[in-house]
Amino acid sequence: MTATAATKPLLALENLTCRFGGLVAVGRVSFAVQPGEIFGLLGPNGAGKTTLFNLISGITPPSGGSVHWRGKAITGLPSHRIARLGIARTFQNLRLFGSLSCLENVLVGLHKHSRQPLIPALLGNGLFRRRQGQLRQEAMALLRLLDLDPWAEHSAASLAYGDRRRLELARALATGPELLLLDEPAAGLNPREKQELSALIHRIRAQFNLSVVIIEHHVPLMMELCDRLAVLNFGERIALGTPEQVRRNPAVIEAYLGTNP
Amino acid sequence: MDVSLLQQMLLGALLGLSVYLPLRCGQLSLASPGFYAIGGTVAALLSTRWPALGGTGATYPISSVLLEMGLAAVLTGAIAAAIGTVVLRLRGIYLAIATIALVEILRVITLNLAITGGALGIFGIPQPFYGPEGYALFTGALLALVCWLCDRLERTRPGLAMAAIRDDELAAASQGIDTARFKLLAFVLSAVVAGITGVVAAHFLNSWNAKLGNFDASITSLAFVVFGGSRTWLGPVLGGLLLTALPEVLRPAGDLRLIVFGLVILLGPLLVPQGLVSPERLQALGRLLPRPGPFGRQAP
Repeated sequence: MTATAATKPLLALENLTCRFGGLVAVGRVSFAVQPGEIFGLLGPNGAGKTTLFNLISGITPPSGGSVHWRGKAITGLPSHRIARLGIARTFQNLRLFGSLSCLENVLVGLHKHSRQPLIPALLGNGLFRRRQGQLRQEAMALLRLLDLDPWAEHSAASLAYGDRRRLELARALATGPELLLLDEPAAGLNPREKQELSALIHRIRAQFNLSVVIIEHHVPLMMELCDRLAVLNFGERIALGTPEQVRRNPAVIEAYLGTNP
Repeated sequence: MDVSLLQQMLLGALLGLSVYLPLRCGQLSLASPGFYAIGGTVAALLSTRWPALGGTGATYPISSVLLEMGLAAVLTGAIAAAIGTVVLRLRGIYLAIATIALVEILRVITLNLAITGGALGIFGIPQPFYGPEGYALFTGALLALVCWLCDRLERTRPGLAMAAIRDDELAAASQGIDTARFKLLAFVLSAVVAGITGVVAAHFLNSWNAKLGNFDASITSLAFVVFGGSRTWLGPVLGGLLLTALPEVLRPAGDLRLIVFGLVILLGPLLVPQGLVSPERLQALGRLLPRPGPFGRQAP
């Protein structure tokens, strides 16, 4: 049940391992994400899903194995370099820039053409203001996409919970990613918001030509949303395949979905 | 008002800005008095031991002061870059402790080297101006320049990146911001501001010794920022001006003045935890005086 698609994988993990002292948080996990794919990561609490995201995004250095991006090793690169390669992420427990406005939160990530020449920046002249205006418009467009534009000037800390989740998404999109790592984007959302989220993820995948890796506990949502799924338990990959294959996998049923009492 | 006091207030504002720059990037560095001491020592040594700088006129040439400032800026900037690369790996209170240690090491070195005059220090630093008025004008111009640079910094990408690092360093890195680079930039700028302030202070004070950059100075300059506010450059400037003036203004109160000063320092953070100046308060003011904020922020 390995990826057999003919295209070159966007992201490939090989025997990726992370040990914290004696605890193996992630043990020899391998899988590949194809361009355009929505790839799901399932697993009970403590299975190592978020640690896996931290390894991919460079927050935690791996103890072994490798991460390849478009065929090039990116294992152990610092997270700002990985972000600039085109891998953006959101955080399970929301890490917005609380004292900045929603607009500024998005502007932080918009660095593709935000470098200003020094002299116009110091003078604050017409050229500088035009460029700032362009950046503002790009940021506003992202906020509008996620229905956050009415709150553009409000501080991120003042937003409602669901809005903060969408702001994290807008901020991640601002870096111009090709791969989006979503860490429990539906956590704390009500059923209606969860449905909207699923549609939203499909929409942004199409619009930005993205691949998505998503961690989520809400199994029906994952079954509906994902092209393929990997299931982790105690840091090990116990299943990989289409939602239908994973649903019928006995190891998954035992480890994650549980057996009927 | 006494012009000497005004001059001290302006120097306080500059020191406040020096502490503010790393703090705006989330880094609690107390190294500013150390770099201030380096700047002062550079000025004292150069102006008393290098006759060519003295010129032929009755006063010490301002061009020589500018040269000393340039050298002090390069020296403090280089030291900050070298030390910062290592020390900025520390976070929060550990960074504060390491920078206090740096200030103490510099103090002990200055105290024990023959060239810096030991405990007595260096006397007879030549005067570029006839009186405090000249100093106040010169320092006022310097403060205006540094404020302008800080203002530009805050309105451009580095300012936004620094604010993001202050709010959440990990999230900032995951947004593609090279956090180590921006933290180092803030630390080096802070050192340069403190260094050139030290040069002006050395000439103004006429003598220079190890007591001028000590732990007390670290805490006092931190108080400028805590009191004034650490989120926009106006805060430390106001904090530096007010808190330098306060003990002198309170002089008629005699022995009570230190108690009142202590109370103000204590009550400041309790009553205005964000400091006197915050972007929100400036925005409220801005509605009265329309002025574009960062990235042309306007009322929604």
